[in-house]
Formats: sequence, C-alpha cells, structure tokens
Amino acid sequence: MVFLGIIVTVVGWLIAVFSLTLTTSNSGRLGIVMAGIVVSLTGILGVLNQAYMKNAIWKR
Amino acid sequence: MRKVLLAFVFVWSVALPGVVLAQAPAPAAEPAAASPQAPAAAPAPAPVMLTDADIKNISGPSADDRAKGDPAGTMTGTATDIPRSDAAKGLTLADLVNQVGQNQVAINFVWTLVTGFLVMFMQAGFAAVETGLTRAKNANHTMMMNFMVYGVGMLAYWLIGFAIQEGGVGAVANLGGTAPLSAEQTITLFGKTVGIFGKNGYFLMHNGTYDVGVMVMFLFQMVFMDTALTIVTGTAAERWKYAAFMISSFLMGAFTYPLFANWAWGGGWLATLGSNFGLGHGYCDFAGSGVVHAVGGMTALALGILIGPRIGKYNRDGTANAIPAHDIVLVLLGCFILAFGWFGFNPGSTLGASGNGNLRISSVAVNTMLAGMAGSFGAMLYMWIRYGKPDASMSGNGLLAGLVAITAPSGFVNPVAAVIIGLIAGVIVCLSVEFFDRIIRVDDPVGAISVHGVNGLWGVISVGLFADGKSNYGGSWNGVSGSVTGLFYGDAGQLVAQLIGVATLVGFVFTMSFVINLVIDWFVGQRVSAKAELEGLDIPEMGSLGYPEFVLKAE
Repeated sequence: MVFLGIIVTVVGWLIAVFSLTLTTSNSGRLGIVMAGIVVSLTGILGVLNQAYMKNAIWKR
Repeated sequence: MRKVLLAFVFVWSVALPGVVLAQAPAPAAEPAAASPQAPAAAPAPAPVMLTDADIKNISGPSADDRAKGDPAGTMTGTATDIPRSDAAKGLTLADLVNQVGQNQVAINFVWTLVTGFLVMFMQAGFAAVETGLTRAKNANHTMMMNFMVYGVGMLAYWLIGFAIQEGGVGAVANLGGTAPLSAEQTITLFGKTVGIFGKNGYFLMHNGTYDVGVMVMFLFQMVFMDTALTIVTGTAAERWKYAAFMISSFLMGAFTYPLFANWAWGGGWLATLGSNFGLGHGYCDFAGSGVVHAVGGMTALALGILIGPRIGKYNRDGTANAIPAHDIVLVLLGCFILAFGWFGFNPGSTLGASGNGNLRISSVAVNTMLAGMAGSFGAMLYMWIRYGKPDASMSGNGLLAGLVAITAPSGFVNPVAAVIIGLIAGVIVCLSVEFFDRIIRVDDPVGAISVHGVNGLWGVISVGLFADGKSNYGGSWNGVSGSVTGLFYGDAGQLVAQLIGVATLVGFVFTMSFVINLVIDWFVGQRVSAKAELEGLDIPEMGSLGYPEFVLKAE
C-alpha cells in the first residue's frame, strides 16, 4: 500500500506535466492539472496515510 | 522491493517519452525589454554632452578644509572621493561612469546582504515558536534541532545544494552579473529545451564561482534554504531521533530543496513555462511561498505520515487530545521575530534596491506587513467565533500563515489583494489544523503543515489570481516581456503555470521527501523508543534537560 501510494502520487504529478502537450487551451490544461493534483492528493491522503494508519501507535 | 523499484523506473520510462538528456550551457540571460509604456507626447530634450574636460573642472573641498573636520556633512562624499584610474589625468568621464555602476551594485549588495541577515535571524524565531509549542520535557531536543539545522543545512548547501539550485541561473544584473553561474543541465521536454539542475558552484570554488556576486547570491539563497529545513523539525518534534534528523536535513539541503528551487528560480523548467509553453510568465514565486514554505510543508507532511503521531495524541477510538504548548510567551515572541525577519525575506527577494524596478521594495514590504496583520485577524476571529476565545497560538499561526501566503505574490499584487490573501490564509490555517488533526490524523505539534504547506500552496495559487500587472522588474519576468498578470486581471495562463507548480510540490517534492525519509527509516530509524518519548527526549537524545530546575511530570 505504501508503494502504491507513492506511485499514485507521482502519477498525479505526471498528469499535470502532460497537460503541457495534451492541449494548448488554457481551460483544457487547467482541468488536466487540477485532475493531476486531485490524484496526487488521493495518493498521499487516501492511500499512503491510510497505509500508515493501519498500524498507528494509538491502535496498538 | 526490487519489483517496486523496477515498476517505478518503468513508469518513468513510459511516462516521459519526450524527454531526451542533453548537456548544454544555460542560455545567456535575455536582455531586459524596454519599458512597455513610455509616454510619447512631449519631444525629448536635447541631450547634454559631457566630456572629460567638463569633469576635470569639478573640484571638491581642499585637503586643508577636510582636515578641519566636516560636522555638517557637506564636504564628505564629493568628487574628491571618486577614485581616479590615472592620477596624472585627474577625474575622467570613465571614472565617473564606473563609479555610478559600482554604486548601483554596491547598493544592491548591501541590500541583499542585510536582508539576508534578517532572514538568518528567522531561525531564532522558528526555534522559539517550535520550542514554545512543544512540551518542556523536550525543550533541549527541539531547540537543538532548530539550532543545528542551520549548520547542517548550510554545510549541505555549500557542498552540493547551491550548485544544483543556482549553478545555471545565468547573469543576475542586480548583482553585477554572477557570470560564473552559467551551466544548467537541460533536457528536451515535449520539444522544448528546459533546465533541470545547475552544475556550477560546488564548494563556491568550482568553475570561477569564487566571485563577489556569487557570494552575495549564496548567502541570500542559503538562509532561504535553511528556512525550509527548519519547518520540518516542528512537525516531527517530540519523537524524532536526532541522528535521523541530521541525515534527513542534510539530504534536504543538498537535494530536495535545491532541485525545486532550480526549477522555479534557477532557470529550470517551471520558470520557463511561459517562454516555452505560453503559460503567462511561467511559474512565478516572488520570495518562496512554494520554493521555501511549501517545500518545507510537503516534507513535513511526508515525515508526519511516516513517523506517526505522538503517544497520547489520539485515543483508541481515534479522537484527538490537545497537547498544550509549554510556553505561549515564547511562541508569540518567536512569531514577532519571524514577522521582523520577513521584511528581509520578501523585499530582499528583489536582490537589489537600485535599478530594474527595484524601488517596488516599498510595495513588497507593505504587502508583507498587511498580509501578516490580516492573517492574524483572520485566525483570531475564526477561533473567537468558533470556540469563544481568541486563541493565542492560533493567532500567532494566523500571522505566520498570512506571511507565508503573501511571500509568493508580494512582488506582484496591490495592498487590497495582500489583505484578502492574508485574511483567507488566517482562516485556512485554522481549518487545515483541524483537518489534519481530526480527520487525517497526522500529528503536527506546531501546525507547520498547515502554516507552511497549505498556505504555501495558497500563496502560489494567489499569484495566478491576484497579480495585477503593475510590477515591472526591468521589463520582463522569467524571460517573458511585460508584467506578471493573474486571472482576475486577464491572464488565465498564469494560473495554469502556478497550478503546475502546485502539482509539482504535491506530486514530486512530497514523493522525493517521502522516499528519502523512508530509506532513512530503514537504515537509521526515524522514531525514538516509546520509553524515551514518554520520558522526554532531553536526556535520552541530548544528555541534558532544557529546564533542569523544573519538576517535570512523568506520563
């Protein structure tokens, strides 16, 4: 789960970078970059953090 | 593990087909464009021709007069004080012109150095805030992390980091050129040549970087880097193994921070999003909401997740307990020190006070103080309305949040926008602290993730919204003519460039920080033992108590 979280987070960044070549319109790029940010945040807060929460010190 | 690494490499190779490694010197800095709006009505007056003969007749006070002293100050600083290149010829036009050039660079040197000294003093503010917000049993440990992060960060930056960040920045006109910083590693991204890291300046001796302008640049950039590093110690306080802190800080000062700083400030790919891909003026971050604060905040978030919450922070059902600060007086004093240092942080980021539109330092300084004020009001009012009391520590964090948020836009926005940005930051910091504390359950003893990470990102975005197109630093920014202009003033492309910066901070910087600290965790261990944590880290980690005459309560 930790490594999945890392990969999802990086993929979100790559989506944002690829907005530079997928379209030339500002609104199109804006949408793609926003989607990339959401994917990265999902990787951090939804996957990576949850992986660590499973064994959190207060659950032991 | 190997499979995971292979997968990671595969993703890179598949995802970046347009990337071709190439080695090329950084392009020479573009000449500044002419001022975009020159009045055209009245005919220009005839030029006054000066010759060496005119200059020769200028005389200063005699040596006899000078020997009598100058209590009124009218005889000091005259033509007599201008050095002559040839005593036999006397004062020439060339002497005069050279002196004007040196005066401009000297003003900019002094400005940049003194503002750098102010930023260095912010370390004291961070130390006071973080130590005050944690418990007395960890005072020595927390203070010592804040103390030594200055040294370990500086060492890493001198050895490696500065070259990566600034090694290819090119000529910085305000500082007289910095010509030796001219080698940037470039790649081809989607058909455009973009920079990814600098290569000159290792040890400040490499490839001609033993240079007065480079020294000014190093001092100023070094204290910025150290600010980013010290943000992390707050989030990991009260449970971070000291040896892990040392290694983590060194690697951040050597690689993580300089890499993103190169991309944003060193001529890297984010800075050229405007000239290469038509996105406004590229990623614009005047003084570092993203480069400094969000990099620190994203690293703090990575470490906060990795290291886990303090013992006693959460109950078995996941509800959070408040762990009160041990010295709120120290916290607010630290906030004031930081606010003072911010007058170096933002106005100093012009890297000069003379020439190239640098008189805007007044506007930058006023924006900074207004946003800090608005941030403290925003947080105080939010806490007062929601909880019935004007919470002191959150008011302090509101001040810092406002300052963090205005750091990127301070050079590009007007005072009304500065107040709006600061006010929103003050509310954001309160909401964000609650979010991380109660929903995400990342324990952050000082609120660094919210103050620096979340509001750093807000500051970056706010440039893309509020930049009013009135600033003019030599006629161009990031190689694009004209002034930086945000969405509310007509340029949607600038907002896209800022959001790509945000995506890089969240997706790349966070990941790089997380992986570095994960590896440290494998080899050294990030967290102290439960016994040491309960006892307090002062004796187990540092060998002496911060407050030896206090009677500390055991848990």
